[in-house]
Amino acid sequence: MVSTSSGGDADAPVVDDGGVTDEELAAFDAERSSEGSSRTRIVIAAMAVVAIVVAAVIGFSVGRLSTLDDPTPTTTSAEAGFSRDMQVHHNQGVELAMLIRDRTSSVDVRTLAYDIATTQAQQSGQLYDWLVQWGLPQGSRQPDMTWMTLPTLAGATGHAHDGGASGSTSSHRPGDPMPGLATPGQIAQLTAADGLEAERVFLTLMIAHHQGAVEMAEALQPRTTNAAALAFARAVIASQQAEIELMTGMLDDRGGPVALAD
Amino acid sequence: MTPASDRPKGTPVPPAVKQQSVKQEREAQRQAKVAAFKQAQKRKNRNRRIGVWAGVVGGVAVIAVLVTSVILTLPKNASYPGGGTGNGSDIAGVELFTNTSEHVEGTVDYPQNPPAGGPHNQYWLNCGVYTEEQTNENAVHSLEHGAIWVTYDPSISDAELTKLKELLPTTYVVLSPKSDLPSPIVLSGWNSQLQVNNASDARISAFFEEFWKSNNVPEPGAACTGAIDGPGKV
Repeated sequence: MVSTSSGGDADAPVVDDGGVTDEELAAFDAERSSEGSSRTRIVIAAMAVVAIVVAAVIGFSVGRLSTLDDPTPTTTSAEAGFSRDMQVHHNQGVELAMLIRDRTSSVDVRTLAYDIATTQAQQSGQLYDWLVQWGLPQGSRQPDMTWMTLPTLAGATGHAHDGGASGSTSSHRPGDPMPGLATPGQIAQLTAADGLEAERVFLTLMIAHHQGAVEMAEALQPRTTNAAALAFARAVIASQQAEIELMTGMLDDRGGPVALAD
Repeated sequence: MTPASDRPKGTPVPPAVKQQSVKQEREAQRQAKVAAFKQAQKRKNRNRRIGVWAGVVGGVAVIAVLVTSVILTLPKNASYPGGGTGNGSDIAGVELFTNTSEHVEGTVDYPQNPPAGGPHNQYWLNCGVYTEEQTNENAVHSLEHGAIWVTYDPSISDAELTKLKELLPTTYVVLSPKSDLPSPIVLSGWNSQLQVNNASDARISAFFEEFWKSNNVPEPGAACTGAIDGPGKV
């Protein structure tokens, strides 16, 4: 064996070997012959742990960064403006529905009103909480409806939509009344009525109110990528359009729309 | 590993090798081993350097990605004056109180003027613009629902009143005149209050941002319609 070869020879190392001792050579031999030893396995295990930790950190970071695609809306965003204005709109929907429930005994109108009041109160609460979660105030220094004048994500400015049967386009300006919102005079008209007359005032008002809500939801769609906001807009459009059809039928059965106060 | 075993089997032993002494042969073998050892050590050192630097660079990069992702996605603080704590701490002159919220009948002796919370009547005052003084016990119930009660001294000018109206949201506000106010205009929310001298005061908008429909009232989101209209509702 080499490791013991020079032990017995007193005159053995005559060639310069760069100061490499026999002990080092012995260790070198042992290392070469011990591949797959426990030391190697420990090193491999340690490297695996490090790789897993690094992969976890990178995965976590990529996940966090991916949320930047859907950033928290700012106070002047379409999402925030919609959340504020739609609360006002929905709260009036609740008010109108509660008024008619006190003024008629028709089960179908009362049930419709119950549906509208509970749905819109719940949705108004959702919108309220969005602002809470986004760290935004419920009120804004901007006039109502300003968000509907923001450019769409596709770059179109202002708000254009098909204005009912005429097909013309109309634009809103900041501070305009929200579409379909009943005026104080119209609320007084409903408050003063009862029975069949109250039902007709209510249905006339609520059809316009729903059409306005659908218009606002449609104005939000091209202005947001926020998943919750888009789902909300879709729900409002689908459910309120269905109710518009229902209410139109109910109103026809009762003699059609009435003239509304200013 | 003996010298004999290193030779291929069956090959004739070269004469030169045969003539080497055992000692020479051992020395040659040792030199070969030393050369291999040195090369292995060189490679080991280079690999270690590569490993250390790769580790350092990779580690720094991973930590940088982690820190960046955490910083960029930290929850944002509220963007309005009081910081969403409902204490209006950045609005000069705001007073905060602690009031209880039972329903009572009859009149209540309120600790604040105008009252900014406390026991109140079952019927809340419908929000809106009023030209006459309102009953405290009803208005306080509206504050409990998140409304702001804007009271003004009847002696302020029409121009001031017009200006004040323009600052107000369309819902969750009661505007009414009130005598014996501590300042010409007082804004009151549930447990919060601000006195101002005129409608040009920028703190009015700040107060609304902080306290209008606040999440810190006893019943946020409850209606400010559907109860009673006070006298002089516009």
